[in-house]
Amino acid sequence: MLKKNILIIEPDKILADTYKKVLDNSYFNIQVVATAQEGILAADAHCPDLVICELQLVNHGGIEFIYEFRSYKDWQSIPLIIFSSVPPTEFADSQNLMIDQLAVSRYLYKPNTTNLQLIKTVDELLA
Amino acid sequence: MDLLKKQYSNTSHQLLLSVAEQMKLPLLQIARQAELGVMGVENNYTTIQTLAENSLHLLDGYSLSLQLAHQYGYQFVTESVSVAAVLYDANQQLQSLAKLYDVQLELNIGGKYGPVIANRKALESAIVGLASALIEVIPAQMNSNCSTLHLATHRCRYGIVAGVYASVPGLSREALRKGRKLYGLSRQPLVGISHSSGTGIFVADSIFRAMKLNLHVSRHRRLYGLGVVLSPSSQLALV
Repeated sequence: MLKKNILIIEPDKILADTYKKVLDNSYFNIQVVATAQEGILAADAHCPDLVICELQLVNHGGIEFIYEFRSYKDWQSIPLIIFSSVPPTEFADSQNLMIDQLAVSRYLYKPNTTNLQLIKTVDELLA
Repeated sequence: MDLLKKQYSNTSHQLLLSVAEQMKLPLLQIARQAELGVMGVENNYTTIQTLAENSLHLLDGYSLSLQLAHQYGYQFVTESVSVAAVLYDANQQLQSLAKLYDVQLELNIGGKYGPVIANRKALESAIVGLASALIEVIPAQMNSNCSTLHLATHRCRYGIVAGVYASVPGLSREALRKGRKLYGLSRQPLVGISHSSGTGIFVADSIFRAMKLNLHVSRHRRLYGLGVVLSPSSQLALV
């Protein structure tokens, strides 16, 4: 069985290592990068099956990354999870933007999302 | 006087918000690390201990900055302090955090600098706050080839500089000026430097301000960093 590629864009090293350990199993190849620019380069090199992205990044933010990512035709249907410390209530007025324009599959608020919930969401999207 | 009090109150309020925002990160890290243990993946008690201790340092620094600014039951004493000793102690405190983030700590305390006039506890707390903030930032930078943080001292024409230095792109006077305006109001006041609220920098800034010192962007050898100019204690240098 072919392994699925998951790209995680997470600037904090401790959290990145934790999520990598959580998702690392025989079904997934995990790649972790810290910035939006590295995310685009990694997506180009490895063609992910799923992207998990934090919004608070150094320099270019997560929303900028998603705009850039979705601007390429090949990447428009790849499931994308926003996994952020920014509460989703701050985007309450932008639901249409998130779903229609950026095609965000799920918005997970980090403080309320356990490792098990993350695994469950990833499994659902890659099923 | 009222204006001064109001200004202090505003900055205290901003600092409190910034500390609250910053504290979310280590608590989240600890919660997820603990969950890894519960899941039977890995027991990282050392990591949890380091993260908790570093958070306690930040809280200590924050309460010290308030005590200094408002003179709440804390007698602010300036004394003759060895910068090298302060940097050495800060380095010892930061070793485990640096190891977690794969950052090398290097002490550059060579050179015969006499003692300076400062409050030792406050100076050490501020240096630890600054360094912790930069340790967290270094792996989050793109192409961070340089993963070394230097705790260094050097002489300048105004006195003796103590600071923390690394090749962090985006660290500039302008970034620090903007950050000072935005901390507590924005989640990412230093957007070109840090993904978090970078509160260690603002706690240190607040401590230095209370000590009538000025945190600024400075250079050490070819590295950019944050430092403070301290006045040499010439009286004791004669002893």
